[in-house]
Amino acid sequence: MASLLFYILGFIMLTATLLCITRRNPVHAVIYLVVGFFALALMFYLLGAPLVAAWEVIVYAGAIMVLFLFIIMMLGLAPQELPEGPNWHRWGPLVLLSSSLMACTLLLIFQDPAATEIIGTYYLAPQELGEALFGRYALAVEVVSFQLLFASIGAYMLGRSLPKEDDES
Amino acid sequence: MNDLLITLLLILVKLGLIFGVVLGMAAYLVLAERKILGRMQLRYGPNRVGPGGMIQPMCDVIKLITKEDFIPDRADKWVFLFAPGLTALTALLSFAVVPFAPPLHLFGREIPMVVCDLNVGVLYIFGLSSLAVYGVVLGGWASNSKYSLIGAVRSMAQLISYELALGLALVPVIMTAKSFSLTEIVMSQADWPNLLRHPLAFIIFMIAVAAESKRTPFDMPEAENEIVGGFHTEYSGMRFGLFFVGEYISLIVIGAMTTVFFLGGWHGPFLPPVVWFVMKVLFVAFLFIWARGSMPRPRYDQLMHFGWKVLLPLGLVNVVITGAVLVALNG
Amino acid sequence: MISVYHYMSVAAILFALGTFGVLTRRNAIVVFMCIELMLNSVNLTFIALSSHLQNMDGQVFVLFVMTVAAAEAAVGLALMIAFYRNRESIDVDQINMLKW
Repeated sequence: MASLLFYILGFIMLTATLLCITRRNPVHAVIYLVVGFFALALMFYLLGAPLVAAWEVIVYAGAIMVLFLFIIMMLGLAPQELPEGPNWHRWGPLVLLSSSLMACTLLLIFQDPAATEIIGTYYLAPQELGEALFGRYALAVEVVSFQLLFASIGAYMLGRSLPKEDDES
Repeated sequence: MNDLLITLLLILVKLGLIFGVVLGMAAYLVLAERKILGRMQLRYGPNRVGPGGMIQPMCDVIKLITKEDFIPDRADKWVFLFAPGLTALTALLSFAVVPFAPPLHLFGREIPMVVCDLNVGVLYIFGLSSLAVYGVVLGGWASNSKYSLIGAVRSMAQLISYELALGLALVPVIMTAKSFSLTEIVMSQADWPNLLRHPLAFIIFMIAVAAESKRTPFDMPEAENEIVGGFHTEYSGMRFGLFFVGEYISLIVIGAMTTVFFLGGWHGPFLPPVVWFVMKVLFVAFLFIWARGSMPRPRYDQLMHFGWKVLLPLGLVNVVITGAVLVALNG
Repeated sequence: MISVYHYMSVAAILFALGTFGVLTRRNAIVVFMCIELMLNSVNLTFIALSSHLQNMDGQVFVLFVMTVAAAEAAVGLALMIAFYRNRESIDVDQINMLKW
């Protein structure tokens, strides 16, 4: 049952992301990416991380992608042409990276074809994760929250409307 | 095996029950809103079809179904077609975690009166409400009309801004209940409802939730005298009906959320729990209809400033104060 | 049956797809989305290994990755608006001057 779900979710996720990076229209790309993130969140739930799955939906699908959509609509971006064909300075590193990654993981899978190291039934309750976050990792959480503060100040400074040039002269 | 089958059957029965009740309630809420608004404006409201206009919702549904389902030329067809369904679906799915009565003991087994008691229930509702943005926004964008696009962009900004205040208003409730599960939250209000414990959080929650529902004090996304119909300008027939029904379902969702988080859920004297629950939900829905009948619409920049400069800081202060009080009480 | 390597191979494919997008697309917003995709593939390996090793540290790290992604999206999109104001385009191939 769990393995069937894994294959279904993996198929949905990979198809959606493949469609996402090949669409000309950025709004369609956002829609497919949201579908992909949704499948990813379900996969997290399957792996025994309900809290992280909820974050995934709320933060990625609900906030970050909506922000992307907002910018796309605000700037009124038209669909763009896709690149015509492969050129080596773009595709060379890509082929190298993806082939080495695939080789590594396939090697790992084929070392153990019967999958004796079945992924465990690990379940982390939200309470435990919360206690760890505000206990053992409290300092790191504070640092990260400062990062968010700096990011919001930076976004405000970058995004505010600049004074007109004739005002200064 | 038999046990699993019974559990599955029970879930299906509960699902059917909730869908039926919620859809029926949504249909009659439309009628109730029209009647109450009519009375507030010294008119009668619909009273021709059936006794007191009771058959009006059925007539509306038949009218919407038989109308032409019009797709504008140059619209993004597939996105245009699925956007209204997304709105109604996300609103309906929220009911999966809402507990409407205490667990029932029947034939020696405990039957929880909720479809699925998730231990991240509050976050589930948040996730769905943030996905509900997509239905409105994509519908407005796909119509390929400037009024729809303005409505979509407005609703997007409004929903993102007020979601923050909504989340912060719920943090004190979660802190006192020590759980994300909605059943646990209702259980924690057995003595007195959260309304009395966290009055400030309740006010922030009500304002934020009104903005989330895009109802009249905050209906800039569909302000009919500025941008025609907002995001649903180009929709007709049953697709418009889906947007419309989704709005009323989300009104019931809001009623249920307010009841669960602040009004003590099914707790109440004398009457059976389910009756208390439904009464509280209907009361909250009435409050929103009342607000629609009596409040003017603010300007758009006023709305955004209020959300970011008043509600958000107030919510943060409220969280800090609640935390301090809880620590002082326990330690 | 599913081993942790299956999850990691899915994550590897996701990462490669993200890299593909970053390297081939010219629309800056799509490039940004692909970076988010790569961050998410890392999240998947974190969660899969956390489940495999029965250890919660991986899930804690996902929170940090998510905050980085959120901060990056906010600042990056603000940069993009600033860029669009000046050039009326967000084509990454046109970001090739220090001053204009």
